[in-house]
Amino acid sequence: MSIRGIFDDIFLLELSIAGAVFVVITVLLVVFLVRRRAGAGRPASSRADNIVLEVSYAVALLGIAVFLVVVTAQANHRQQQMQAQFRGAPDVVRVDVTAFQWCWRFQHLDGPASTTGTCQEDPATRPTLVVPIGRPVELRMTSHDVVHALWIPDLALKSDVYPDHTNSLAVTFDHAGTWLGRCSEFCGTHHPTMDFYVRAVPEQEYQQYLASGSPA
Amino acid sequence: MTTTSAPSPRPAPPAGRGTASAWLTTTDHKRIALLTLGTATFLFLVVGVLAMIIRAQLTLPSQHLVSNDMYHGLFTIHGSGMIYLVVTPIAIALGVYLVPLQVGAPAIAAPRLAMAGFWLYLGGALIIFSGFLTALGPALAGWYSYPPLSGSRYTPGAGQSLWIAGVFLAVLGLILQAATVLWTALLKRGPGVTMLRMPVFTWSTVATNLMVIGSFPSLLAAMGLLGWGRVFPQLFTENLWNIGYQHLFWFFAHPVVYVMFFPFVGVVAEVLSTFSGRRFFGYRATVVSLLVFAAFSMSVWGHHMFSTGQASNDYYSLTSILLLVPAGVEYFGFLATVIGGHLRFRVPMLFALAFVPQFLVGGLTGIMVATPVIDYQVTDSYFIVAHWHYTLAAGSLFGIFAAFYFWFPKATGLMLDERLGRWHFWLLVVGTNVAFLPMFWLGLQGMPRRLATYLPGDGFTTANIVSTVGTAVLALGVLVGVVNVVTAVRYRRRPAPDDPWEGFTLEWATSSPPPPLNFDDDHPLPPVRSFAPLLDEREHAGQEGADDPAEHGALR
Repeated sequence: MSIRGIFDDIFLLELSIAGAVFVVITVLLVVFLVRRRAGAGRPASSRADNIVLEVSYAVALLGIAVFLVVVTAQANHRQQQMQAQFRGAPDVVRVDVTAFQWCWRFQHLDGPASTTGTCQEDPATRPTLVVPIGRPVELRMTSHDVVHALWIPDLALKSDVYPDHTNSLAVTFDHAGTWLGRCSEFCGTHHPTMDFYVRAVPEQEYQQYLASGSPA
Repeated sequence: MTTTSAPSPRPAPPAGRGTASAWLTTTDHKRIALLTLGTATFLFLVVGVLAMIIRAQLTLPSQHLVSNDMYHGLFTIHGSGMIYLVVTPIAIALGVYLVPLQVGAPAIAAPRLAMAGFWLYLGGALIIFSGFLTALGPALAGWYSYPPLSGSRYTPGAGQSLWIAGVFLAVLGLILQAATVLWTALLKRGPGVTMLRMPVFTWSTVATNLMVIGSFPSLLAAMGLLGWGRVFPQLFTENLWNIGYQHLFWFFAHPVVYVMFFPFVGVVAEVLSTFSGRRFFGYRATVVSLLVFAAFSMSVWGHHMFSTGQASNDYYSLTSILLLVPAGVEYFGFLATVIGGHLRFRVPMLFALAFVPQFLVGGLTGIMVATPVIDYQVTDSYFIVAHWHYTLAAGSLFGIFAAFYFWFPKATGLMLDERLGRWHFWLLVVGTNVAFLPMFWLGLQGMPRRLATYLPGDGFTTANIVSTVGTAVLALGVLVGVVNVVTAVRYRRRPAPDDPWEGFTLEWATSSPPPPLNFDDDHPLPPVRSFAPLLDEREHAGQEGADDPAEHGALR
């Protein structure tokens, strides 16, 4: 199970419940709009209350709310534990991430490798963070100026990035590939192009990158 | 029917009541409310036009119709305009107009305070918009204006400073108006109007204005902090002040979401029950749920900060998800009222009915974003943009139009056109859903909010084209509404009777428009024995001694 997997599960669960509730209420509404239209000739009810029904309904709602609270808290704890495990792993790859107006700097703690860019519309100007496949990666993020947010949409990974404060995200890349990362907290003039890439490569290639400072 | 005929003869108004100076120094709550509502409606059209420019820019990838910074100014003024200057003022000023009438009072408590509220609001609005005239343009840090970005170091220019001052003044004015409405409902009720005989709408304003009093001062503090930081930008190099601002801001800014929602729950309840020809079902449960909802609303603000890494996510998730209980109780009342009704599909009823499923989409996605593991992914994306446009545009805006078509005849003495009203309604339904539904998809596809443009390779193009088409239809619907009002007022062909809809509440017992002190010798205050006094009278006249509604659970 990945961080994205936990998101997918809970999203699907809540989407199904929400969809069911929406369908039930909308169908009820439409059916009774037809049946109770003035032309149908049914007189209006003079009943104004049904306390027993209302209280039992509220209790049922409370039950649903408690179920959702428990399920979502558990999912949140699973994600937090997963990240804590990654951070505590002996082979964790640590990267210091600095956000600034308007790009990113990635500084590896395992070697001299560091990368940054200018983040313009041309993708070649965006920095690429290189990480090894299979090892946990911890991103320790801080900002040089205003509040930014690091977001890798395909991995469901996001955290705000503050000046004078460090937030951390931990994740494992289990296959080779390149992912797009974005700034998702509005940060000024060039916010729309403040993108970067994450590239996961085999361990050997990663070691070469660390030593040379550039991917093979 | 001639253009000059009035529904009922009235004594000539005192000389000078129609002059501009009489309007601008009025102590009549109806005029204070109409000034506020009129200003807010005009500003709705203005900030709506800003949204059209935003949508035009986003229709196709890599477009630069306006510069990035102008785009940022547009979404800032669109968002903060709609929230601080349009929907919140309408939510509060509807109460200024209706609450004294609905509780049978001749006037609002502290009318000069309410009028001062209008002037502060108007002044604040002018100050915010004056940013467009400054060298560096309007404020551009978004409606929540987080520091350090909103500080003078990163956003120089007078526009941002003017925005801070304008928001402070406008919101201060709204607090004053809200306080007078609350005061009226609690202490100025007419004979026979006990607390549990106040209409649902009046109760919704009580809950609303309690939240205003409890939470809006926090925004004043937040704006004070931003102002201090613009003079001393060093302040916002410390995390304490940056995160502290977010807490102060959201302590105001989540309750304000319900301030922009509750009065329209009240409106929809009144309209549904009137056009269903029956009492609102579950009155007591709805009153309790509104008050519980208002109390809980003060404990959920941190769910806007799940991704900060500096909030107690489990706690805020718990309180936020629990809100589905009172919200569900309110929906039960809507549905049960319709289920036992004798339904007449007039224009206000259409808007109220559409509110029910459309706001539901906003509410159900609200539970999703109250879930931290979902919020981490969708916050600051277009999913959130879709979520609150479903609450505010598909929800509150439909409530506003329901209220508009329902009470326009009362306030002006003129009926609006049904046929144009239906065109307005259907265009708005189609436009709203086509504009905002694709945004859920865009958010899940990874489109961040507040993006001045995107690239062809991002895969956002199709949904953005659809959304822009929807916005155009929506705008056409609003235009039809404007035509409806202009023709009604210009030609004055359809004078409104006192009670055009067979209403239940006290405002329908007086003339249209009501006399200066609301009720007079020609329109005395009827006896009040429940929250639907005019329905009681009608039933009493119709079935003298035949059937006591109290046997069916009616409140007496």
